Amino acid sequence: MNNHPQQPSNRSEDRQNLLLLLKDAQRRSGYLSDQLMRELAESVGVTCSEIYGVGTFYSFLSTRPQGRNIIRACKSLPCCLKDSHLVISSIEGAIGIRAGEITPDGRFSFELVNCIGACDSAPAILVNNDLYTELTPRKISQILKEYD
Amino acid sequence: MDLTTEMNKRNMPCIMVDIAVTINGSTVSGQSGMTILEVARENGIDIPTLCHRTEFTPIGACRVCVVEVEGSRTLVGSCHTPITEGMVIHTHSPKVLETRRTIVELLLASHSGTCYMCDKANICELRAIAADLDVGFPEFQVRRRYYPIEDDSPYIVRDLTKCILCRRCVWACREVAKKDVFAIGYRGFDSKVVVDSDQPLNKEVCRDCGICIPFCPTGALGKPRKIAEEKEGQLLIVKG
Repeated sequence: MNNHPQQPSNRSEDRQNLLLLLKDAQRRSGYLSDQLMRELAESVGVTCSEIYGVGTFYSFLSTRPQGRNIIRACKSLPCCLKDSHLVISSIEGAIGIRAGEITPDGRFSFELVNCIGACDSAPAILVNNDLYTELTPRKISQILKEYD
Repeated sequence: MDLTTEMNKRNMPCIMVDIAVTINGSTVSGQSGMTILEVARENGIDIPTLCHRTEFTPIGACRVCVVEVEGSRTLVGSCHTPITEGMVIHTHSPKVLETRRTIVELLLASHSGTCYMCDKANICELRAIAADLDVGFPEFQVRRRYYPIEDDSPYIVRDLTKCILCRRCVWACREVAKKDVFAIGYRGFDSKVVVDSDQPLNKEVCRDCGICIPFCPTGALGKPRKIAEEKEGQLLIVKG
């Protein structure tokens, strides 16, 4: 019978899987709350700072509450050359918030992210897991209608 | 530093093999597992370093120690690149010097505040390296990062405005103090050294230690100083 629930070997393995653990936690509770990060730090055997560092580095992890639908607009160079700023301001106009904010009804949160791998058909945005490419400001309101 | 422990730290097999390399035209020999920097220093060649300290594993963050290795596509960081047989290294070629100057200029550009107003101006390694390499006022126009000074802790005063993200404090806390209080948070221009979930440094998370303070190359970390307590008796009120 083993009296030690957490063995050191498990811990170092957990540490290697930190990103997966964080992704999993985010999927279950929507975002990485302070409480959640603290619990995770305790079980993996790293400090809270390290968890926070990883959590804030990746665009697809969030340390703040998010809306029901997440709009991620690409801010990298290829999209920028294809006038992504017009698309971004069109999104801001359509939902009435700026990048990094959540609509008061919790329907959308809007973020600017680095390359989402669709440079060949820039400018591109992601809404939840759906990719929309070759956008113009006019297409935005039509796209956002589908999300509630 | 003891080479054996150094190699154990990097999980390398502990077999000493002599390796001959050419540094700046002269052939010198080192042992397997040694870095370019270690061999150069052993042979009296001065490569400037900023984030590197012998107390902990190489970081390779600041890039000040870059050197040219023939056959390598890019310049390599000498503090973390191990030597290999027949390596031809140039530590002070025009390309290296130009790159080093640009790197220091970039470091200066994101380091806010003037040396005239800084307590640590005369013990600042960044300033010393900039002076050595003849780097003047940076030409790069980048948005400066300003953060409030964190003086809640009785042991450390932290001014992240002066931080150049060399990661020395992170490594010192992790490997020397064995506490792991610091980490790097956020991304790109927003990167900063975070404590907990980006809390100001306080005595809850960081207790009586201060090991990181002498490791900071700039004035970002310092001992708290209460000027009013340094004078005995009543405070003077000076008029006119």
